[in-house]
Amino acid sequence: MFFTTDKIIFYLLQITNYCTFVRLFSKDMVFSSLSFLYIFLPIVLILYFSCPGKLIKNLILTVFSYIFYAWGEPMWIILLIFSSLFDYFNGILIYKWRGHIFSKVMVIVSIVGNLSLLLAFKYGGFIWENINFFVELPFPKPENTLPIGISFYTFQTISYTIDVYRKIVKPQYNIINFLMFVSLFTQLVAGPIVRYKTITREIENRKINWDDIWSGVSRFSIGMFKKVLIANTAGMLVEKYLDAQYFNLSIPEAWFGITMFSVQLYFDFSGYSDMAIGLGRVFGFHFDENFKHPYAATSVADFYRRWHISLGRFFRDYVYIPLGGNRRKQDRNIMIVWLLTGLWHGASWNFVLWGGYFGCFMIIEKYSKSILDKTPLAIKHLYTIILIIFSRAIFYFVDFDKLRAFIGILFTSKKPINPAFYSDLSAHSFLFILVIILCIPWNEILAKDSKIWIVSTKFYNSYSFAINILLLALSTIMLVDATYNPFIYFRF
Amino acid sequence: MKIKIYIILLLFIISSPLFLLFTTENIYVSQTERRELAKLPKLTFSSYLSGSWSNGIDKYIDDHFPFRQNIIYIASIIRHNMGFQIKDRERILYIPRLKGNANYPDDLDSASKINYLTDFNEAMAGNLLVLNGCIYTLNSGSPTVAPAFSKMLSDYALQFEGKVRVFSCVAPLSSAFIPVERYARYNGENKKTLDAIRDNLTNGAIFCDVLGELNKHPNEKLFFGSDHHWTALGAYYAYISFCEAAGFEAIPLESMTYKYKYPFLGTLYEQTRDKTVRDNPDTMKYYMPDVFTVAERYNAYNYNAPCHSEVFCEHFSGGGSYSTFLCGDAPLIKITTDTRNGKKAVVIKNSMGNAFSVYLISHYEEIFVLDFRYSKHNLIDLIEKNNINDIIFALGMYGAVNHGTINMMKQMAFNRGKMPEIITLPDTVAPDIIVDSIPPEEFINEEINTDSLSETIN
Repeated sequence: MFFTTDKIIFYLLQITNYCTFVRLFSKDMVFSSLSFLYIFLPIVLILYFSCPGKLIKNLILTVFSYIFYAWGEPMWIILLIFSSLFDYFNGILIYKWRGHIFSKVMVIVSIVGNLSLLLAFKYGGFIWENINFFVELPFPKPENTLPIGISFYTFQTISYTIDVYRKIVKPQYNIINFLMFVSLFTQLVAGPIVRYKTITREIENRKINWDDIWSGVSRFSIGMFKKVLIANTAGMLVEKYLDAQYFNLSIPEAWFGITMFSVQLYFDFSGYSDMAIGLGRVFGFHFDENFKHPYAATSVADFYRRWHISLGRFFRDYVYIPLGGNRRKQDRNIMIVWLLTGLWHGASWNFVLWGGYFGCFMIIEKYSKSILDKTPLAIKHLYTIILIIFSRAIFYFVDFDKLRAFIGILFTSKKPINPAFYSDLSAHSFLFILVIILCIPWNEILAKDSKIWIVSTKFYNSYSFAINILLLALSTIMLVDATYNPFIYFRF
Repeated sequence: MKIKIYIILLLFIISSPLFLLFTTENIYVSQTERRELAKLPKLTFSSYLSGSWSNGIDKYIDDHFPFRQNIIYIASIIRHNMGFQIKDRERILYIPRLKGNANYPDDLDSASKINYLTDFNEAMAGNLLVLNGCIYTLNSGSPTVAPAFSKMLSDYALQFEGKVRVFSCVAPLSSAFIPVERYARYNGENKKTLDAIRDNLTNGAIFCDVLGELNKHPNEKLFFGSDHHWTALGAYYAYISFCEAAGFEAIPLESMTYKYKYPFLGTLYEQTRDKTVRDNPDTMKYYMPDVFTVAERYNAYNYNAPCHSEVFCEHFSGGGSYSTFLCGDAPLIKITTDTRNGKKAVVIKNSMGNAFSVYLISHYEEIFVLDFRYSKHNLIDLIEKNNINDIIFALGMYGAVNHGTINMMKQMAFNRGKMPEIITLPDTVAPDIIVDSIPPEEFINEEINTDSLSETIN
């Protein structure tokens, strides 16, 4: 036979090695970069708003989305286009054969196809490690082959084909529109997972509304500020405490480090979602909210109604409910969904453990609902926050040995507090106050007709230009600061 | 209407760097960062496919963003004002770019892995301590790696069979002198590394007890507060320890003339841009032995066309003040003195050796100062052709506890940059001077197997 197994493995490894080589050089484009903010974005905006017609605008967005994607991953654009075309035709065929068994076959093909991509490119190394643990495999572990955004766009296309199958939406026949839906740079790399049904109408028919654009700009500026000023600063403290001083931590320092990681994770991820939602609005799309003040939650279940909402909804609609939802084997369904949610976050057992941890608490909360209902709100909030912050340790330490050692430090460290810790607390005190203010759900606490709400809304509307400029300027200053890279020769 | 103007204005603002980037004059070197700024990459099919072109564009934009230096200064002010700064309270600054790579071997068991990481965190975690406007490098070397340095030295000692004395003058890190009790352990830990060097020296290699001598002067300014180097005073005490080991009589400090440079904000300030350090710049006091000298600098590969140099370069100032010593680092500097005792020395050094070497001019007729990081000169050839008496390894501890730098020092025995044979030309023929500033390609591409050093020497 021309293609022997050995040959196939050989060629696959060649491709993997090339991709690894490419990965060494590539650096993905992100919103929080000077190239995006001051080069890419103005060019897209000028072209987008100066060209007439929805189709041309969609074409511009598609082309620039591919440029955006190919910036760091020129090779993987093939995968993105393949995935898009695969589901473009699947959607049409599913709809064409609706009511027929072939329709079901096509939706299964779509799901299997997309999940195979994920398995091959995201979980290949993980699967290899686990099989190799039991049986020695005849080929080396595939390394670093995760194409950016694959977890998001495969889920988007899965939701599309399933929704077409369920007759929730009609397929998109215009290929440019479909390619744009899958590759739209606003949410391509870091979500939220945008369901086709959310933006069906806006893909073909959206209007330029200056107020909408301005609200998008405001949202983008806030997101940028959250990411660059807060998440990145918290990230420095995280590295310092959970990495650089890891083994010299006292109990308060260890909790501080992991709390900072919780802050970093939220402001980083929600900052990105804000930027995505804001940019979407600038181009006329209205994406659903992805975060609703999660650190104000009063139970684990409440937390996940507020955190990464688009992922939660995806698993609810496409896994939890089809498995039986609340009606049949609910505990099993909850656990499956949470283990999958964990695995979605990364190809490592610590993420599975993290998912299992939350699955267990969701089930415990379900059976102790009556006790929780009687518990004072403050206690419930405290309980939730402690559980969440602790869970971040499982999220942070991919290495189980380090995780075990760190949990030991969290509860039993005998090291004294380093006086430099107090300096860190005071030196970042304004930032911590800002974090607390931004974590409070003011829109839930304050009534819309309360005086504070009215005055602050009026203030924001009056000075929105100055506020946005200030937020963008501060973010730019910190982005430029990150480029400061003095020559380090004294290491040698 | 108001919103429309806002949007157009904002679009104008975010578009302006795009025009400024390509219309303003480019700066190619950043003085504060001491590095070349990124150049605009060339677009080729392969560079695009590999992602190196887009990466290069990102770097170019990062490095040439309009008003970058001013913005970086503003950022340091913002960072300083994210909360209350407690005066005189120590702070630990974490500088990720100073962090080493903590990858451990796969075959370690859990307990060894934890120990490995603990050691790593002590040595290479990128932590700097700021205390009263002074920065201290918060690590203490590595007793585990130190024996490799001793072996390299001992191998050289064996190579010269006692005809040439080999000295180890390794400087401790500034962490050894933190004036707070709870950091006192760093002095002991620096000592452990230096003791490991001493205990593993063989074949007659001589150890200079630099830390022991420095410890006699705990209340003096031995290291700069804004720079990782020792002061001229710290280097002088190291020189005393060398004189004791070498059997020389040290020149008293009082007999030297001295000068000052102020303000001096050095490398550690550059890394941190800490305001308390900026407000407390160093004064560099340096001492000059009363010896007439002629200094020449050579490029990395050969002995052609040396440049004139100085032992003390008075014109350096500000952040570059430490370059006063020997005019900064060079692959090879030859110093000829008016001392007449027939003695010649080679100093193998990194930048810590610059402040130290200047005191040696009272004891040698000729001193060859080789920077192992840049030099491609063959050490064996240099020593044999110049009848060298002493080789002094005078370097900061980072260089002695790093396998990469130890290998560089090993490689000096195999470098191909040999001294030309002296040929007497007829008087009537004027020799052509070839300025060979570009290294021959075979030197650049040459790979030397350093593992075989011990075998060759033995």
